[in-house]
Formats: sequence, structure tokens, C-alpha cells
Amino acid sequence: MVRFKNRYVLCEVLSEDPRCRQCIEDRAVGLAVRDAIARAHGDYGLGCCCVSFTGMKYLNAYTGTVLLRCRKDFQRLLSSALPLVRHLEGRGQRFPCALRTLHVGGTIRTCQKFLIQYNRRQLLLLLRSCTNEEERRSVRQAVLSCSLTEEQAQSGEEEEEDGTETD
Amino acid sequence: VAVHLRVYPSTGCAHPCPHHCQSVRTRCQSWVVLRKKFVLFRHIFVGYSAVALNHIIDFKEKKQEIAKPVSPSELFPSLPIVQGTSKRLKVLTRLTLVVSDPSHCNLLRSTSTNIRLYDIIAVFPKTEKLFHIACTTLDVDLVCINVTEKLPFYFRRPPVNMAIDRGIYFELLYTPAIKDSTMRRYTISNAISLMQICKGKNIVISSAAERPLELRGPYDVANLGLLFGLSEGEAKAAVSTNCRATILHGETRKSACGVVYTVKKLHKVEEEETVPACKKAKTQA
Repeated sequence: MVRFKNRYVLCEVLSEDPRCRQCIEDRAVGLAVRDAIARAHGDYGLGCCCVSFTGMKYLNAYTGTVLLRCRKDFQRLLSSALPLVRHLEGRGQRFPCALRTLHVGGTIRTCQKFLIQYNRRQLLLLLRSCTNEEERRSVRQAVLSCSLTEEQAQSGEEEEEDGTETD
Repeated sequence: VAVHLRVYPSTGCAHPCPHHCQSVRTRCQSWVVLRKKFVLFRHIFVGYSAVALNHIIDFKEKKQEIAKPVSPSELFPSLPIVQGTSKRLKVLTRLTLVVSDPSHCNLLRSTSTNIRLYDIIAVFPKTEKLFHIACTTLDVDLVCINVTEKLPFYFRRPPVNMAIDRGIYFELLYTPAIKDSTMRRYTISNAISLMQICKGKNIVISSAAERPLELRGPYDVANLGLLFGLSEGEAKAAVSTNCRATILHGETRKSACGVVYTVKKLHKVEEEETVPACKKAKTQA
């Protein structure tokens, strides 16, 4: 069967600066990743990985989750260049950041399933560090509403990660 | 005192592998600063199961005293829980000796210093002779490979094979590769020359992060290993099983004094024969 096989790499953007979250957008992350590939693998790498790389497939600015796509044969080039991303540029500002690979899947659906499980685990960790009873209730509700349904494209990502993560 | 943080990941990343390992270095002026940085490290520690605090001792400067390692429980009152299990992050202590002269190695042989209190001991040889000594006779767990400049010597097979037999691991750093393009070239060239000799065995990939954002997750570090010429399985092992073996090596070095080996001869009836204590460094799990 003739089909283009892709690999979808799910990453999380980590940064110290809380303002960096606002600046996570499609173009900025794409430019940063392309720059890292160019630095690591040169023109050959850039050419290979950008065959089907037109934009992010999914971006969540609240949790900093990014889904990238590349051809199956060049997934190693992309994966080995992702740790080299150091800055994110947007709106004229540079924020130091790091990308952490969470999951590599063959389809968007498998990445979505992984993301739901991962978010559920993160929510449970947040529940442990909750101080307020209201926060606790809202987190529990969010955990219960995690599901993969046909109508919605993304489910179960209404948690607030910014407030309780930093100590 | 330059302090290093060594991080060992655990399951919880995309491809669950037991005991992922990573070494992280931070340069801190004081322990208070280290505690603050540790808090920032927290969200990156997801996927890690143990951390080691590292001291670098450089003998080029005037002779320094090796202080007793600070107990981790004093520094970090609350450690995060390892993802996927219910145990807390393990904090170990580690010492790195930068040796450029054979007389510096005498410190390792003396038994009355505080060296015995560290969990892991690493040595950073600067010359070919010292590399040979470190691989064959020195009682260490790790041999650090210089990645920030061109190696002054070529690796040869005999000392490297002896080190592999003894259970000593070679350590490569990856944070210089993240930071700077020239360092990246040196890192890759040194790593590949090591790979050609040792065929990817006994490699540990660690970080020398000075800031929390220079740390990378376990899966990413394994991917960086691909850049260094390791195969996929070897890269994952460099991040997981090899590091656990190093911790065990350090533990046995600390606790084991010797081995008494008795052999019964079949032909004669005689007393037991004891072979003098020999430290077998390789731990068979």
C-alpha cells in the first residue's frame, strides 16, 4: 500500500520564565526547531525534515505541549536535534527554554491517547500539592472528565498548571 | 568548590527503561544557592530516580582539602517523588578529581581521608599515561572524557579493554554540545574516536549543566547519544543500565573489602586454600 508514513513527536516546552508561555506560538517554535536542525545536521537535515513540516499539528500554550510531524525515515534526525533547542523567539524577545520529548507515535491519535494519560498523571501530581479545597475539587473534576471522544478534538486539558507548579 | 548534580531518571518517559541515568553539573558558590536551583530543577526531574551532588577537585591550584560530603537530607528537606513509583528521589554524592600529574593519584590510595564517604568517584585524566593508570589500576568508578577541547592523546585498545573488564565506565558530557557549536564538534569527534575503540560499551552520558534549563529529559539524552555514534540500544543503555551499574560499582567499592575464595582440590585431602583479596569491580546483576 502506498502511503506516506509519518512520525509525530510530542514535546513539552520547559522554561523558567512564566512569560514564555504566552510567546509559545506556531511560528516561533517552528523556527526554533528548524534552526536547531540546521545547526546539528546542516542543509541536508533541514531539507529532509522540512518535507512535511509545514507548521505544528497541535499546540497548547497553557501546558506548553507541541506536536511535530516528520517523515518516518528522518525521525532520528529530528529527535537528535530537539535537545539542541535553547531559545524561543517571539514578539521581539528571546526566552531560554528547553524541549522535552514525551512520546513518538505513528499517528496523531496515539499521541493524543498518550497525552491524555500523561495529563491525567500530571493532574494527580497537582492534586497532591493542592493547598486549597476549591482547587482540589476543580482538579478532581478535570481528572474525571479526561476522555477520548469523537466530537471533541482535545479533551481533558482544562487544568491550571501555572499556579501550583512553582514553589 | 564547583558542585555537580547527577541525575538518574526512572520510568515515566516515553519508552520505559529502568533507572535512566544522567549526570548534571551545577556551579554553585554555596549550598544555599544549590537548594534554590534544585527547586527549579524539579519539573525537569520528572523521569529521574536519583541525583548525585558532585564536587570537582582540581589539583592544579594549591592543594585543597577534600571536605566531607554534605548529607543530602540537610540540604533538601523535601524531595520530589519519582514518577511511576512511590519512592523519593535518591540523592547521592560524587567526587571528581582532575589529575594532571601522577602524584595526585596518591590521594586515592590513602585510606584515612574523606574520599571513602563519597558514593561515586570519578577521575579526569589529562595525559595519556594518566589515562592508562586510571583505566588499569586506579580504584574509581568513572573516567571522564574531555569534550571541551581536542584530545591530546589517542585512545588505545589495551587500557580501554582493561577498563571495560574492570567495570569502569567512560563519561561523556553533553551540555557543552548544547551550548556552543565549537564544543559540539569537539564532543562529537572525541566521542566517535572513543566509540571506535570501545564499540559503544561502558558509556555513560552526563550533563554539566550550569543552569536548570540546560538539563534534558532521559529520552532526549538517549537521542543525543545517537549523535555521538552510539546505536539506539547502546544509547538507551548509556542513560539507564550503565548508570545503575556505576552506582552499584560505587557501593561495592565502598563496602567490599575483599573476597575470600576457597578451592577444594579433588586429589588430596588438605586445608582450604585462600586466594588473597582481589577487588572484582564488575557487578553481575
